[in-house]
Amino acid sequence: MIALFEILIEVCVTGGKTKKVEKARRKFLKIVSHILGGALAAGILAPLAGFLAHPLLKKTVYGTEDFIRLGSIDDFPIGIPKKMPVTSSKMDAWNIFEGLVMGSVWVIRQKDNSLQVLSTNCPHLGCGIDWGADVNKFLCPCHEGVFDIQGKVLSGPSPRSMYSFKTKIENNTVLVDYKNLI
Amino acid sequence: MANQVYEWIENRTGIGNVMKHALDEPVHGGARWTYVFGSGLIFLFILQVITGIVMACFYSPSSTTAWGSVYYIQEKTSFGWFVRGIHHFGSSAMMIVAIIHFFQVFVYGAYKKPRELNWITGVILLLILMGFGLTGYLLPWDQKGYWATQVATNIIGTIPVIGEYIKVLHQGGSDYGNFTLTRFFALHVFLLPLSLLFFLVIHVALFRKHGVTPHWKLSKQELRNRIDPFWPDQVFKDIVFAMILYAILAGWVFWNGGAELQSPADPASNYLARPEWYFLFLFQLLKYCQGNLLIVGTVILPTLAVTFLFVLPFIDRNPLRDPSKRIPFFAVISSGMVGAVVLTVASIHHDKHDTHILHQREDSEIQAARAMKLAAAGISPAGGMSIFLNDPIYLGEKIFKANCNGCHMVKGAGGETAPDFTDFGSRQWIAGLLKNPKDKKYFGESGTMPPVQLPEESLLDISEFLASLSGKLHEGDPGRIERGRELVMKGQCAICHPVGDKNAQKIAPNLTGYLSDEWLKEFIKTPADRKFYGTRNKMPGYEDTLNDKELDSLIEYLNSLSKKQPAVSLYKKQERTLTGYVYSQYGSMGILCPEIVITGYQMRP
Repeated sequence: MIALFEILIEVCVTGGKTKKVEKARRKFLKIVSHILGGALAAGILAPLAGFLAHPLLKKTVYGTEDFIRLGSIDDFPIGIPKKMPVTSSKMDAWNIFEGLVMGSVWVIRQKDNSLQVLSTNCPHLGCGIDWGADVNKFLCPCHEGVFDIQGKVLSGPSPRSMYSFKTKIENNTVLVDYKNLI
Repeated sequence: MANQVYEWIENRTGIGNVMKHALDEPVHGGARWTYVFGSGLIFLFILQVITGIVMACFYSPSSTTAWGSVYYIQEKTSFGWFVRGIHHFGSSAMMIVAIIHFFQVFVYGAYKKPRELNWITGVILLLILMGFGLTGYLLPWDQKGYWATQVATNIIGTIPVIGEYIKVLHQGGSDYGNFTLTRFFALHVFLLPLSLLFFLVIHVALFRKHGVTPHWKLSKQELRNRIDPFWPDQVFKDIVFAMILYAILAGWVFWNGGAELQSPADPASNYLARPEWYFLFLFQLLKYCQGNLLIVGTVILPTLAVTFLFVLPFIDRNPLRDPSKRIPFFAVISSGMVGAVVLTVASIHHDKHDTHILHQREDSEIQAARAMKLAAAGISPAGGMSIFLNDPIYLGEKIFKANCNGCHMVKGAGGETAPDFTDFGSRQWIAGLLKNPKDKKYFGESGTMPPVQLPEESLLDISEFLASLSGKLHEGDPGRIERGRELVMKGQCAICHPVGDKNAQKIAPNLTGYLSDEWLKEFIKTPADRKFYGTRNKMPGYEDTLNDKELDSLIEYLNSLSKKQPAVSLYKKQERTLTGYVYSQYGSMGILCPEIVITGYQMRP
């Protein structure tokens, strides 16, 4: 605006094209170019940013059940850990996947029919944990981690006991909350 | 602080000098609005690049995922439809501005010595632009792109000797598949942009070397008298032009509600392929080059035209730029342009007046709308087409086309020996039948029913009643139905047609539950049953040909033909318990769980 006034005053005073008028005119054009260019860039970038930020604003993967069915209670022997695959449905962006294997868990049925469901991944660095039937212990082969049947760390590098999951039994069906580690 | 940072960078890079050198370029003869088209093209190219990069964050190039990901961009994201629209129509905008730029360069004689290479790189850039349009069209893997691109790759195949090899290389095999998409995607986002950038840098560098080509009438003295710096005099005009371009483009996208997305590519369909408008002249040209002459339209004429453009600066060696001194070249270029315009207009005109094409367009729009609704429930990993696998209307249409279309017509396509099923089961359709059963549209000469000679109003009453028998009537008028019932039961209809007892037999079809799903099913199974046409039947029975599911689908399709029925089968809402949570797989909104209701929200005008 200042540049515009400069031009006006100068034109009024001199009544024509002087170097000063030219200079002021260019200054004005520079300011307006910056403003218009900025507005144009904003008008282009705003919808692009909104679009790109879609995964921040809305879920792109969803539809997994809160409690996933593992099987009937009778499928699990008392006192012996059994490895079970966890399958669920999942909406992944545009795709719907039904019966997708999401991972697996160790299920131990106690004498009182209560259940303990442990993660198959070692809390140390995520290796798969095996059940050593001969020694009655969980063994992680990567760095020789050893856990007891409750998942408590006995030896090895693991900083904590094995992760477990919340479970419930409804109508003899075992359900596990696979999304949340305990 | 900002100054210090600038100083630090300046001391190490000298970027200020580079900028100064780039922006202080003198524009001889003064900055002009006529010079904005080249920079307008660069602006549009940048716009295509950034919208393209953002879309690439969502796009997935394979024959099973491409359509789904574009559907997701279009329907599920905020602004995705807008960004895609800008990218889609941006290609058209580039083509328009490029043609203006091209024509202006020709009129100004800017291809003449020493600017021959400017011109040649410009022609190359124009060809690359067409390559972008061609490769981008296929990427959504919808009907339109799939079939139009088939035509293009088959044209490549007509090139003598090497054509077939180039075609297979482009397709990534002898037929369309995953590799077609990965290759077209690679061309569209890597090879073509890099090539364009390469030639663009040369094009712009040469432009800076030789400067603008001013109007041919300006004398050297006049050019020397007025010299404006590129910044801000010309840049200001360029920015204003870029703003106008973007405003028009954004307005166009809003007006159209974004770019079109047709239903997923179906290799089994017979879709009428039409390319993007800037290829229509080539497409139309092929109609006149038939049989052995095909190669004239596909290879010889385009090659001649492109060759002419390449050698133009070398045949027009006269340094004078005044158009009046270049009449023959104007004649060649103008006739080429006029020819292209005439062919384009001819193609559009033809398509606008061909009822077959119009019907096909209408159908594909309905199909696209159906695809959008079905896809909302999630697309199975089998790919876009799989959304139709369980859609009874789609299945029904297929069954109808395979079994019924030979005799029954729908929307102008099909045989004429049996009733026309356009708008089947609607009040108007029934009223027309009553009025004149011997009409070509209904039973023709084989019709034995006499026309119902009653006033128009009474005919509508009867058809309202008959339509109500199906139990599917939308917004039925109870008064009309009652009057219609009186007319049918007490009039002459009931002499031949049994109404009320499902198994009663008279000489004409039993109308109990007329056009209901059950009635249609029994009828299609055994039209020669004595409760229908008996011995006078001409239609084959489908009891052994179609199973129950197929019959249900066929009937669902027949129901959909009447305008009062929804175009998308809404599937009776099946609540399904799936280990722990409840969702209805095919609810009208595709409600999987409450979350989707939120994600289904979108910014659309």
